[in-house]
Parts: sequence; C-alpha cells; structure tokens
Amino acid sequence: MSKLGAVVESVEKHEKFVLEQVKRARSDTKFGREMTERWNKIKGGIPIGRAPTGLPLPRLALPEIDEPGEIARYLFGDGLPGEFPYLNGAYREMYLEPLEEIEIGSYRKSPNGKNGPSAKSNGAKPKVIPQEEPTRLFSGLMLAEDTNKRFHFLSAHQRSKRLSTAFDGPTLYGIDSDAEGVMGKVGEGGVAVDTVEDMVRLYDGFEVGAPNFSASMTISGPAPIIMAMYIAAAKRRFGPKVVPNLRGTIQADIFKEVQAQNETIFPTEASLRFLCDMIEWTTEQMPRWYPVSISGYHIGEAGSTPVQQAAYTLSNGFAYAEMLAARGVPVDQFAPRLSFFLDCGLDVEYIALSRVSRKIWAIGMRDVFGASPRGQMFKLHTQTSGRSLIAAEFKNNLTRTAAELMLAYMNGTNSCHSNSADEPFTTPSEEWIRLAAHGQAILLEESGIFKHTMNMLSGSPGMKAVERAVEKAILEEFREIESLGGVMGAVENRYQRSQIQNAAHRYEQQIYDGTRPVVGLTRYRDPNEEPPEIELARTPRKRQQLQVNRLKRFKKTNAGKADKALRKLAAVVESGENTFPALLEAAEVCSLGQITGCLQELVGHFRPMV
Amino acid sequence: MFNVRFAARMASPVRILTAVPICDGHDSAINTINLEFIRHGIEVVYLGFHRYAGDIVRAAIQEDVGAIGISSYNGGHIDFFAEVVRQLRRQGAGDIAVFGGGGGTITPDDAKIMQRQGVDQIFFAGTSLAAMADYVRKHYGKPRKKRPAKSRSDLVLARELTAIEDAYAGQGRLKQPKSQKASARNSKVIGFTGPGGAGKTTLIDELVLRFLQNEPQARIAILSHDPSVIGEGALLGDRATMINSQHDRVFMRSMATRGQAGGLSPATESCLTRLTKADFDYVIIETVGTGQEALPFRSKLIDQTVLVMNPDYGARLQLQKIVMLDVADIVVVNKTDLDRAKAALSEIEHRLTQNKRKQELVATVAKRHRDPGVDELYEMITASSKGDKK
Repeated sequence: MSKLGAVVESVEKHEKFVLEQVKRARSDTKFGREMTERWNKIKGGIPIGRAPTGLPLPRLALPEIDEPGEIARYLFGDGLPGEFPYLNGAYREMYLEPLEEIEIGSYRKSPNGKNGPSAKSNGAKPKVIPQEEPTRLFSGLMLAEDTNKRFHFLSAHQRSKRLSTAFDGPTLYGIDSDAEGVMGKVGEGGVAVDTVEDMVRLYDGFEVGAPNFSASMTISGPAPIIMAMYIAAAKRRFGPKVVPNLRGTIQADIFKEVQAQNETIFPTEASLRFLCDMIEWTTEQMPRWYPVSISGYHIGEAGSTPVQQAAYTLSNGFAYAEMLAARGVPVDQFAPRLSFFLDCGLDVEYIALSRVSRKIWAIGMRDVFGASPRGQMFKLHTQTSGRSLIAAEFKNNLTRTAAELMLAYMNGTNSCHSNSADEPFTTPSEEWIRLAAHGQAILLEESGIFKHTMNMLSGSPGMKAVERAVEKAILEEFREIESLGGVMGAVENRYQRSQIQNAAHRYEQQIYDGTRPVVGLTRYRDPNEEPPEIELARTPRKRQQLQVNRLKRFKKTNAGKADKALRKLAAVVESGENTFPALLEAAEVCSLGQITGCLQELVGHFRPMV
Repeated sequence: MFNVRFAARMASPVRILTAVPICDGHDSAINTINLEFIRHGIEVVYLGFHRYAGDIVRAAIQEDVGAIGISSYNGGHIDFFAEVVRQLRRQGAGDIAVFGGGGGTITPDDAKIMQRQGVDQIFFAGTSLAAMADYVRKHYGKPRKKRPAKSRSDLVLARELTAIEDAYAGQGRLKQPKSQKASARNSKVIGFTGPGGAGKTTLIDELVLRFLQNEPQARIAILSHDPSVIGEGALLGDRATMINSQHDRVFMRSMATRGQAGGLSPATESCLTRLTKADFDYVIIETVGTGQEALPFRSKLIDQTVLVMNPDYGARLQLQKIVMLDVADIVVVNKTDLDRAKAALSEIEHRLTQNKRKQELVATVAKRHRDPGVDELYEMITASSKGDKK
C-alpha cells in the first residue's frame, strides 16, 4: 500500500473532525463562545480600503455568519486565507493593492504573507512595499541569444525579473543539435541549449543571484543535466558564492511525462533516482530553488478531465514526497520546495479545482507526512489552457484566455501565464504575447475585481457545490490508483494514460456532436473566414547551422576533459551514490547529448507506453 | 500452402502507419485519431512518438501500409515530412502516400510547400475525425501496385506477406511462390505466448537487443499479433514499445487477428512459412495475450515455445488449468520484482516437475536494463539453437 490510501483516510478524518467541531460549537457553550469571540476578533482586525470611487471595502471578505457552528465549519473546514487547510489561499493576502490607508485595527501582514513593516508608524504614511507581479510569460525561441532578447523585451517594464524558459525539442529529449535527424527541429518551439555556454548566453544581462530574479525552466526528462548546466553557467558569471542565492523552478516532473507528455528519456526508475538526487542536493544547497514543479498542465492538455488532472497531479506529488521521505530527506527540507503547476480551462470544475487541491495537499502533508505549515502549502503556478484555443477565428482566443485568467485568479494561483491568441499556429509573436501579458495587467491592475478585497467568492453556494463535487471525485480517483498499487503501480498498468486518452477522445467527439459548443468552429462560424495573417516564429536554417557549429567547437575544445568527466559520472552512477555532484562537474565540459548518451548507456532508454 | 477454410473471416482492411516525429511527444491528437480510424475499420500500425524519419520509413515498408500519417505539433514539419518522402522514394517505396496534420501549426502556406514536395494531404485544424477517416478509407485502401522486380528484399517480402493476408481475406489469389532458393541460413523459430500484461513485448525487445549486440551479422524477423475488434479495425501498437527492434537487421510485421480467436491470424502459418524461407537467423512470433486454455502454436515450424507469465496469475488452482504449461519449452516468470514473485516461482516449478519432461524455468524483470534473467533466457535460446538448428 502506498501512502495515497492514508491520504484519503486523512481527508475523510478531517471532514469528520470539522463536523465534530460544528456540533461541539453548538452544544458546548464555552467552545461556542470562543468561536464567536475569535470570529469577531478576526472581523474587527480587517482593514478597510477604498475603491477609486470612494467606496469603502474590507481587505478580506468573510461570510455573514454569526452562529458558532457555522463559524467553526468555516474556520476548520475552509480556513482563512493563509491558514490550514488553505482552501481559500496559500497566503493571507494576494493581488491586493498596497494598503495606504488604515481605518480599523492594526495590520501587520504585507502582500504574499511576508512580514512587512507595521502599518502604524507614527501617523506617517506607511511605506509601501510593491508586490511581486504574479505574471509569468513562458518563452523560448531559436537560439539562446534570441530568447535572451525576448526575455529582456518581456521583463523591461517589470520590477521583478521572472523568466520562464521553453526549450526546443532536441533539448527536451536530451539530444544535441548536431545529432543526425534533428535538423529542422533546432530552435523550434523553444530555445536550443546544448552546453553551459548556451546557458550563459540565455540569461545574459540578468543578475541571476539577485532577490528580484528568478528563472523557471520547463524541462523534465534531462532536468538534472539542465539544472547542472544552469548552476555551472551561474558560477561562470558570478562565482561559486552565487549558488545558494539562485532562485527559480525546474519542472523535472517525471511522473507526468510518463502519464501524459512523453518527454522522458531514461527508464522511469532511473529518472526518479536522478531526480531525487537533484532534489536532495538542491534543497540542501539552494534553499530558494524549487527543484520540481508537479504538473497537471500537460495532463490537462493531453486531454484529461479537470478532476483527473488534479487527482493525478496530487497523487504524483504525494508519491514524490513518499520517495524523498523513504530516502531519509527530512520532510521540512523538501516539502516547502515542492511546487505545483495546473492547467486552467473553461470547464466549470476550474472554478474550484485549485482550491480543493490546496486543501487535500495540506491535509495529506500535515497528517500523513508530518510537514510543518510551510510544507503544507500548495504553491501554484497556473497556465491558461492551450488546448482550448483554436485556429478558426483565432481572435476569440483572447476572450477564452481572459475567462480562464479570471478562473485562475479566483482560485488564488500564486503565479500565472496567459497564453497568446496566436498559439494554435506558432510560438507567440511579440504582438500577441504583449496582448497576453496586458490581459493580466488589465484584470489585476485596471479592474477592481482582485485589487480591493481578498476572498471575494469564498463560501458562495455555487463555489461550495463545485468544491464538494470535485473533492469527492478526486478522492474516488485516489482510491482507484491506490487499488492498483499506488502511483507507480498505476503507471505500470498504464491506468493514467488510458484514462487520459479516453477522456481526450470523448472531448473531441463532444465537439463534433455538439455537446461542447466551440464558437467560430461549431457555432456562429463565419463561412467567409480567410486564413489569418500570422507572423510565424521559425528558426532559419542558417541559425540552426550556427548552433551546430558552436556545439562542434565546444566539443572539440573540451574533448579530453569531457571523457574524464563522463568516466567519473559513470562510476558514480554504478556506485549508487548521489549523481548530482558528478553531473555538476560534467556540465562544465560536456554537452547535453554527451551526458544523456553516457547515462543511457548505463541505465537504458525510456520504453514508451502507448 | 494455406487452408481455404479460414478464408474470408474479414475483408482485407485499409492499412496505414501513424507516428509522431522526432523530438515531439504530442500524442494526444494521434491517439484520438487512431481510435477513430479503427472505429472506421482501418488497421493502424502505430509507431509512437519521438520517431526518426528513418524508423518511420523502415516500418512503413515492412508493414506494407498504404499510407503514413504523421502528427506534428512541435515545429520543423516542412523538413520532417520532406525527409520521410525523400527516404521512401530513395528506397523504392514512393507508392506509400504521406499525409498528416498539426492543428494550426501547419499553415496553408506550409501545406502548399509540403504538397509540392510530395506530401499527399494535410488536414488543418478543425477537420472532423470522421472526415479524416473517410479520406483515408477512400484514398489509401486501393490494392497495392506492383513494385519493380528488382526491389530490395524487404519490399518484396513485405508485399508477399500482404498477398498472403489478402488471400485469406478472400481478396486476390495467392500465386504459389516460385520455388525459393533454399536460404543459406535456416531460421530458428521461437514462439512467445502468455496472458496479456505479462510483458511479452518488452521481453522480446530486450532479447532482440541481445541478438543484435552479440551476433553482429544476425537478422531477425518478428511476427507480432494484436486483436482486431470484430467489425472494426485494429490498433497494432507493439512497435511503439519495441524500441530496440526498430533496426535495419530486424524485419517486423504486425498482424491483426482479423476475426480469428486463439491469439493468431488466419494467415499466420503461411506468413511464418514464408519468413522461414527468407534470410533470417531467428524468427520470433508473438501471440495476442491469451487465456488459460489457449494452445496457439500447433505449427511444426516452431522450434521452441516460450510461455511468459506474470506472478499475479491468481491462485494455485488456476495454475493447473494453464495448458501451455504442459507444452512450453521455456516458462518465463516476468516482473519478478513484484511481491508475489517468490511464491509464484516455486508454485510453477512444482507444477513443471509433474510434467516430467525437460522444461526450463527462468525469472526475469524485462523492464530492467541489463536484466540478468533476460541474459539467462537469451543463453537458453541461443545455446539450444547452436546444436539443433534444422
């Protein structure tokens, strides 16, 4: 039995506990009074801000309840934002405008839950600490210097430099740009990275150790190798002291690759070993780094239902926690460094999907793994659904993305990527990527929806109804996975894959039988639509050749050192020790393909599942 | 050479190969399309994702498909499709059509270029699944054209196997092949059977890796079987998992059972006969996952039968009913990393001793790289072949 069964039990136990508290608050006068007092104190401490129209509004919205049982149900069952079980949010305040005027109470928390300066400072206007923008835009195209230029374009107007990196196909599969048969794929759909030198070029001009910088890298199969290259590049530019300051995320989620995205290169067990080696090393040496982003996005994009997406993602997360705990990594070392990534589409489940996910994660991590509050928090990056975007009358995609953004922020995501409307055709062009970024600014900065009051929809009957239904369905999926021997067992039985494929097939059929209307395609289609003029991002053959030439030169220069480093790496792999330090050395002098090849020689290739 | 009694179970279906290009894992669209194709009665050999052009072309020739469908979502499609067309033509298989799609990533302008380069058809975003299936049935189901007499041996062999299959489907007549020159090598034929989920495909692929590594000249043929859904097509997906078998020294043919129960196709025996006359050192035949009463190999052509089991076969009582345990030369218990493995091995060993004939038992974990159990199985198969090759 894996720990997933225990997670199901802990969630059920928690539900029972909440009901007991409700009953107790109603029958035990003293406890009931305590509840009421606590509630009144919370309400009394909520600062009031003002909308630009002058309308006063509380910074935190709470349900209008005064009956002790209902108060207990809210406080224990949902929790205030930033409090267990975090249904309403991982942090007390998110997306809110900096507070300038205090009318009631003293308020000590600044945005994103970090302790800021006290708001009351001798009547002087409180110092405003600008909040970190939650907008992240995923980009990667052509060669490292081209992506670097895009990064500078995207982050020019942002206080914080949050770069999110997409890699090209050969890189995602651990293959060098000069390998036979990949010409044409180099720099397509993401940036080509073969060596530490490319990694230096990629983040050139950014101070990677600075507190306002973070890099996110979307790659899983060869993630430990790419991570090692990132560290090697940072060391080249800023010296070894930069390592503990590095901040960012690498996706590195092997389970979802095997279940949905198919970008994995070693057999699953070997991949998991290299991954855990990296997590163990980075959580110790780089305390600000997120070494795995447990991702449902690709499960959703591969066609799963929203419930399947959340269930497989959470169960994958618990499986990683179980593996790391079994290795002896302390839970408070790794748990706070696990982060999540979900898809947000247009199905109604998305109104509450991340809310429920936060709750289940918190209960499981606390009650099954014994994590402290920082390790109970489900820290979430969301991306709007690429699959929901279509080529026909593609400008409608702006509206689809806007609706999804709204859902994502209603779920309290910690950061978010909004897709560009031209994505059905190409890596986004600057025109459409700018519109995508501005969509977020319009929602968060221009509109008042999220600026003034946190927790707007918490406790609403509709939200509650969806939360309940989604939670029940996720636990059902957990039971099914557990009955197959946990995540690993289910993977080997290709349970998740076949469920996702069936859901994808159903979805397509529903589009054409009319169950799922798609505007511009199956409804209100313009019969005279002309193919749009889209600026395509394609990597010219000459650029691809440049990458190949640079790589060949690198290999020639480092030939002797590379051999030595690979021999050392091989010995470490065979010995069973942690491979990450040897990878770090190899990354200085070897190409991605050389390291992949060496490892595949030792542990074999991934055998795809259909 | 073949028995007419079995003929005309199912008409010979349209047969195509589908794949996703190198460095591309987007298989959601193709999985959905494959399901739709087989619902429309098409036989689909699915090669999987992240596939080199060379692997696609080799497979298409060996499987003798009418067309190749490529689903590309990760860019580079103009180069990739062109490479597939170029290699097909270079190998004398330019009669195999190439079609594909990539949602919105393949623009109408791209499609024009691709069609000029020899691609038959690109389906754009928004094409319904039914429309695609109709197109495939209409355009790729024609009888195969004759190929020049001097074609490469793979092309000839592949087309002969098609002729055999068609004859069993009651289409066309099978010419008695001209008396084959006795091959310089005689094939050793090994039959693999066992319940679904035991890991036969993975095990065979690991054995192939050892053949290729240890016998640098050896050529191997594989006949692999997947069920046809009655009245529908078939999804022949073994190639997608058999990564080591996509090799120039391996000739693989995926066969659909086309309505016959028991784990093989009506045409299997004839195809096997044909293969043993070709230039292969080993011919491996894999059945569909079978039940406990199955006894698929009645052919005298088979030198050695291997039963592959999974430790989870159920209670001891079930073991008594597995007929293949009486006749198999080698019994493999795969997935012996599972909890029940030890008990399973000793139960099966006990069962085999009752048979009082020389049967080998071997424990493997085929999914493990360099598994010593698979090495042992390889030794068993090759050791016996050295002495008693016919």
